[in-house]
Amino acid sequence: MKKLVSASPQITNPSSSSRRIMIDVLIALLPCVIAATVYYGYHVIINLVSCLIFCFAAELLYNLIVNKNFTREGVKNSSVTDCSFAVTAVILALNLPAVMTVKMWGLNVTDKLGAIVFSFDTVLLCALGSVFSIVLVKMLFGGLGRNFANPACTGRVFLFIAFGGAGAFNLTSSLLGADIASSGATWLGSRESVTGSMLTDMFLGNTTTAAVGETCVIAILIGFIYLSLRRVIDPRLPLITVASLALFAFLFDVVPSGITGAEMGKEVAAHILSGGLLFGSVFMLTDYATSPNTFVGSVIYGVGVGLITALIRSFGSSPEGFSFALLIMNLVVPLLDKYIIPKPFGYVKPEKHGKKNKSGEVKS
Amino acid sequence: MNIKSFKKGIHTPHNKLTESRFLVDVPAPSVVYIPLCQHIGKPAAAVVTAGDYVSVGSKIGAADGFVSADVFSSVSGTVKAIEKRKTVTGACDHVVIQNDGKDAEKFLPPIKDLKDKDALLKRIKEAGLVGMGGAGFPSHVKYAPKKQVDRFIINGAECEPYITCDYRLLRERTAEVLLGAQMLATVLGIDEFDVGIEDNKPLAIDAVYTAIEEKGIRARVTMLKSKYPQGAEKQLIYAVTGRKVPCGGLPSDVGVVVGNVHTAYALYEAALNGRPLYERAVTVSGDIKNQGNFFVRTGTLYGDLVDYCGGLEGDCAKIISGGPMMGIAVPDLNYSISKTSGSLLFLSEDDVNTSQPKPCINCGKCARACPMNLMPMYIDAYTLNGDYATAKRYGALNCIECGCCAYTCPAKRTIVQSVKLCKRKIKELGL
Repeated sequence: MKKLVSASPQITNPSSSSRRIMIDVLIALLPCVIAATVYYGYHVIINLVSCLIFCFAAELLYNLIVNKNFTREGVKNSSVTDCSFAVTAVILALNLPAVMTVKMWGLNVTDKLGAIVFSFDTVLLCALGSVFSIVLVKMLFGGLGRNFANPACTGRVFLFIAFGGAGAFNLTSSLLGADIASSGATWLGSRESVTGSMLTDMFLGNTTTAAVGETCVIAILIGFIYLSLRRVIDPRLPLITVASLALFAFLFDVVPSGITGAEMGKEVAAHILSGGLLFGSVFMLTDYATSPNTFVGSVIYGVGVGLITALIRSFGSSPEGFSFALLIMNLVVPLLDKYIIPKPFGYVKPEKHGKKNKSGEVKS
Repeated sequence: MNIKSFKKGIHTPHNKLTESRFLVDVPAPSVVYIPLCQHIGKPAAAVVTAGDYVSVGSKIGAADGFVSADVFSSVSGTVKAIEKRKTVTGACDHVVIQNDGKDAEKFLPPIKDLKDKDALLKRIKEAGLVGMGGAGFPSHVKYAPKKQVDRFIINGAECEPYITCDYRLLRERTAEVLLGAQMLATVLGIDEFDVGIEDNKPLAIDAVYTAIEEKGIRARVTMLKSKYPQGAEKQLIYAVTGRKVPCGGLPSDVGVVVGNVHTAYALYEAALNGRPLYERAVTVSGDIKNQGNFFVRTGTLYGDLVDYCGGLEGDCAKIISGGPMMGIAVPDLNYSISKTSGSLLFLSEDDVNTSQPKPCINCGKCARACPMNLMPMYIDAYTLNGDYATAKRYGALNCIECGCCAYTCPAKRTIVQSVKLCKRKIKELGL
């Protein structure tokens, strides 16, 4: 009789697995998908499906090619089984406008009135973004947990920078804004004076947004609460980021604009409710691989994202900058984890006159 | 009552399947294999040779050096051989004794004056007492601390899942345990001691209160939150006294000594009945016909104990000596019960971890669970990379190997294994 031996602990939490976490994130994203479909129609579903297919195919092919194993076994052992590709795909699809047309391609099917029924351009861009996110950002750096930047965010920024000039999409207006109450430009693009009904519209999603997932704040909040309750994310991190943006937007944008009183509050609220801030801080900022593992690190990271977003919105050439802020702070994360190491339980400060311990390690 | 605890840690399922089973004496098997190394430190030196006749309680191994403990025969009969056999942590010489079934006893004389500090300390050494929680540190060293201590805590937390032997002792032998604890406190020069018990053992807490009142024992009971690793020395000290044991230091640095329930019971037996340490309570649980709590003679093979319990049942995937969180998995039943084997578990495929580790997703759950406030994911990553100096920077040496990190890890990484390797490498390379 020979039984299995392994190092302690002999038991692990059976309800916790990488795949379970990814499925929790997908569940949390579901309200956003529904809200986006309600406001932007079936185009969202087309984008979502194409992103899912291309992310899946890219990750699977990468695995098979790298492992040189094209059998059923190779598929079974590939990293697609952890479902992280689906999270990237859904977040990417929700980070894009419903329809993206490239002037030079124009591969669109239109109905008699000239409205776009099916846009092949969009599918192509979704495919490009998916492959870029999965292969270049995630898999080439070692796959799940090893990516230095958020894949979906990088995919979005790539599409914006590479195809923004062709009119595919910009960060402040939606191409399918026609059947929505307000005009095509978002508040960050137009900067009209904020009214109470505008804020309600922003909250409910009855307004244009650059990306479909940013539409409905209620849907984002449901996802936030679900992820917090399931302990997938640390709820403090998004809150810190939003608070930091509110503070810096107030300092850099609202105060210099010269408005006073209750208007200031409304302006700050509009800053919070507009753009990718809420969606990004709940679903992208909290990405495990690209966020710090200590609370102090998280505070610096969150405040940094808020600060850079506020700077870009106030002084930048682009009216919205959450994705850029996130990418910049992603690069800082490894440093935060390198230099901010929590003090172990029972830590005693090394004596001053003794040999100073530079790295902050405990006396040995 | 105020429930105290420490920071972080995890909630494991308690699975105290045997908590209502009374302690039962297991008859001694026909042959016992008594290991000469049942403690931390140098193995005891055999003082018997093949052919010698020994009684129950005869000394068969003498402490070799200061940090070592005497070993006693658990049966009466003839020494057959002294042979090298494996133990759960390595290998050492075992004294093989053929049991003649007479149970002839050869005990020490009872101690008359139970307030005599030196006599008690001497008895601790004479009876071969060790810390019976699992580490097995020789008690005569521990209870003669170099620094003056002012608190003595009896560790009744028993936070490991499945194990119930201390709980049963606290319920069935309450007065004996508390009187033994009082003797330990006397040795340390302390009048009043603490008993820390987790709040999932209300019956034990009641029993302790009743015994304190009836016997007039000076003890304080602290109710502890049922959280793992509540029974870890540093965490227990923090919960009961609020003191933090410095990194790399000993509990006596903050004036505290923590004692095990079973050690207290063993001292009671040794002082009043003169019985040296040759048997202990063992919890047998899991895929076995009759699970329960048993008094087992040291040197009994696991196989003999399993036979007594009616044999294995179901698809036992792992045999674990000790608790599921810190215990050691053994491949077969060819090991002996020692002074430190508190439990023997037979866990099925559904209960134990048999999955292969997957890549770290950097979720930080391990850092949030670590009761020592370390960053286990980086210790794991740097150790596997061979960069032990950086792993040390993330606190590898402070790890208490409780297993919280690996328990919560969604990728099922073997973090504790890495930390153990890292500690060894740091020692080897002298970093």
